[in-house]
Amino acid sequence: MKMKKQNVRTLSLILCMFSYLLVGAAVFDALESETESARKRMLEQKRSDMKRKYRFTEHDYREIERVVLQAEPHRAGRQWKFAGSFYFAITVITTIGYGHAAPGTDAGKVFCMFYAGLGIPLTLVMFQSLGERMNTFVRYLLSRVKKCLGLHRTEISMENMVLVGFLSCLGTLCVGAAAFSHFEGWTFFHAYYYCFITLTTIGFGDFVALQKKEDLQEKTPYVVFSFMYILVGLTVIGAFLNLVVLRFLTMNSEDEKRDAQERASLKRGRNLTALSLGQENHCHSNLFLPIEEGTSCTNLILSPAEERGLYSPLPLPLNASQSRPQLSSLCSCVCYHLGLCHCSAPSPNKCPECNINSVYCNSVSYKIQGCSSNRNDTVVSSPGSTLSPGLSLRDLPRFRRKSL
Amino acid sequence: MKRQNIRTLVLIICTFTYLLVGAAVFDALESKMEITQKKVLDDRKRELMDKYNLSKVNFDELERVVLQLKPHKAGVQWRFAGSFYFAITVITTIGYGHAAPSTDGGKVFCMFYALLGIPLTLVMFQSLGERINTFVKYLLHRLKKCLGLRNTEVSMANMVCIGLISCMSTLCVGAAAFSRYEDWSFFHAYYYCFITLTTIGFGDYVALQKDNALQTNPQYVAFSFMYILTGLTVIGAFLNLVVLRFMTMNAEDERRDAEQRTLLSRNRQTGGTGTNHCMSDPPSSSTAGHGGGSGKGLCNVYAEVLHFQSMCSCLWYKSQEKMHYSIPMIISHDLSNSDTCMEHSETSDALHSNGCVCSASSVYTGLLSPAHYQRLSKRRSSI
Repeated sequence: MKMKKQNVRTLSLILCMFSYLLVGAAVFDALESETESARKRMLEQKRSDMKRKYRFTEHDYREIERVVLQAEPHRAGRQWKFAGSFYFAITVITTIGYGHAAPGTDAGKVFCMFYAGLGIPLTLVMFQSLGERMNTFVRYLLSRVKKCLGLHRTEISMENMVLVGFLSCLGTLCVGAAAFSHFEGWTFFHAYYYCFITLTTIGFGDFVALQKKEDLQEKTPYVVFSFMYILVGLTVIGAFLNLVVLRFLTMNSEDEKRDAQERASLKRGRNLTALSLGQENHCHSNLFLPIEEGTSCTNLILSPAEERGLYSPLPLPLNASQSRPQLSSLCSCVCYHLGLCHCSAPSPNKCPECNINSVYCNSVSYKIQGCSSNRNDTVVSSPGSTLSPGLSLRDLPRFRRKSL
Repeated sequence: MKRQNIRTLVLIICTFTYLLVGAAVFDALESKMEITQKKVLDDRKRELMDKYNLSKVNFDELERVVLQLKPHKAGVQWRFAGSFYFAITVITTIGYGHAAPSTDGGKVFCMFYALLGIPLTLVMFQSLGERINTFVKYLLHRLKKCLGLRNTEVSMANMVCIGLISCMSTLCVGAAAFSRYEDWSFFHAYYYCFITLTTIGFGDYVALQKDNALQTNPQYVAFSFMYILTGLTVIGAFLNLVVLRFMTMNAEDERRDAEQRTLLSRNRQTGGTGTNHCMSDPPSSSTAGHGGGSGKGLCNVYAEVLHFQSMCSCLWYKSQEKMHYSIPMIISHDLSNSDTCMEHSETSDALHSNGCVCSASSVYTGLLSPAHYQRLSKRRSSI
């Protein structure tokens, strides 16, 4: 049995991710293990030297260790005054989560969980919304630039947008790296690493801005800059994700939707054939309308070639056979309502509740009549009628037209 | 102002307000405890310094050593199991920081690793989450059938309810497990699971850091990894159900605006005469005016049809939502069409009862002006 596309896709993604994890683990092991063991040895050596030097008892040393570890967040100054709390709130709702400060009280932990529960979706939607606006604006700017430059084609392709997006991300990271390396005294590379880890919301906490003594409370402009940098940087990254990744997040849903449509249209197609044989007041013909090539399989309208194929014994292109049942079912949707309106009166004016519907159907079909060049006189779709697949328009009784 | 711009501005204001409120509350909750804790620790530190006659410089050195030893205390962090744990925290963006690359090479690789891994993981979790939602919908539908309920459709409310319950139980299961293995209280373990599965990952509580568990307790290690990945899937499924549609709202609105602009510009191009020509000349004249007439007519028809298509899809999706299990993505499209549709609902009660509310209202308001409508009715009599 052939597996659904969505299932195949999901399984391959799972496999990809696991392999990616395995490869990553192996590489990190290779890169860091040796350094780790060397450092560990050195630090333990230092520790035993110190213990010997100061003659700590084991109990006391453990006490010192505890005190030092617990005092770690305090080294950076007050973490929970307003500026620090704001910083913490940012790290919660953006899911960066440095951990440089974490709620110590149980009440703080509880509030943190509720705060995150509402804040994270809000922030996700906000960044995507703003990112989309930015992308649209950039697209507009680019097309103006292209026009000004007098280029031949002023359309913005996806590649243009991806390139611009990528460059903005790099630019943002570099600007941040320059700023933080200056203010925090880090090397450019470490500052870049910090910006990257922050803006991807990983947030290790090995490098954290605003942790030099009392920066949070004293250097207000720098504090404001840091906050704005994080939020703006996340917007830029969010815009890039919106451009490139978001479509993939909805792929399965879109496929599922399309499958459901196909299933239902097939069912309707079958129902239509059954119903069309009996009932007069119901509309039966497809609305065959000439337009440009349809590309998606949800395109309702057949191209002229496909239309002709329906009247002649030419083999139909695949699109037509796919779209025909959809078309009939979709249009029958509208037209069944005409019938259900019990609008057997000749003029729509006498049927108030059907008024708009008939007018609509009429207007569409009139446009069809006027514009369908490859039709002769007889082949005029009666207003709003739908054909079951198989019947041609020719077979429609003439009287329909008069009745409306 | 465009709807998308308003929406975006409102969201920005909401987020900033949310941050301010959060900051104020955290300040109120934590500041006092922070001050008292700092005082206690300072006192203890001074005691120890006095006891051992340590100068400040000495103590700073000691402090440095202790802090640097912290990750090593928890065991070997970069052997394969530890690296795997680290890789998980990178690509899921949890990022505890319990271990972070110390070599520059490690940092560089970490950045590239995250660059490719994070989108891959996002797409994977959403994909798997959507599959889970579909499966749950199916199960629920079968369950409703078995129970002999009259209405066997699975509504959005059902799904959200189930989603919430699964999230809560995932957190509770994890809390129970980790409180046992890590010797935390249930509350602290629950807090750990929550912070982990929302990918915040403070690092104040980290699993697998006691007694060198990473190297000595492989079953527990495997359980932890599977728990994190499965838990993230459950949360991802819930996000896919509830939040994802809002992330595409602006794009959907933008697309619809573009469609409308195209329709309007085409309508203007063909002009009133074009449509008149279209309608007044029945097929007999078509051969003569084939090129021009059908060309203009084509545009007009396309415009009508496009709107018809969108209207029909409104109807279609509305009926489909009842038949098959709701299709979330079309929501903004759906809603905006039904906005125009709702205007007409009072006049078309017969239609409304069928669940297909849109009649011609979207086409009507979009394309046909009342004057146009007059022409139409005149036309009709001519034929």
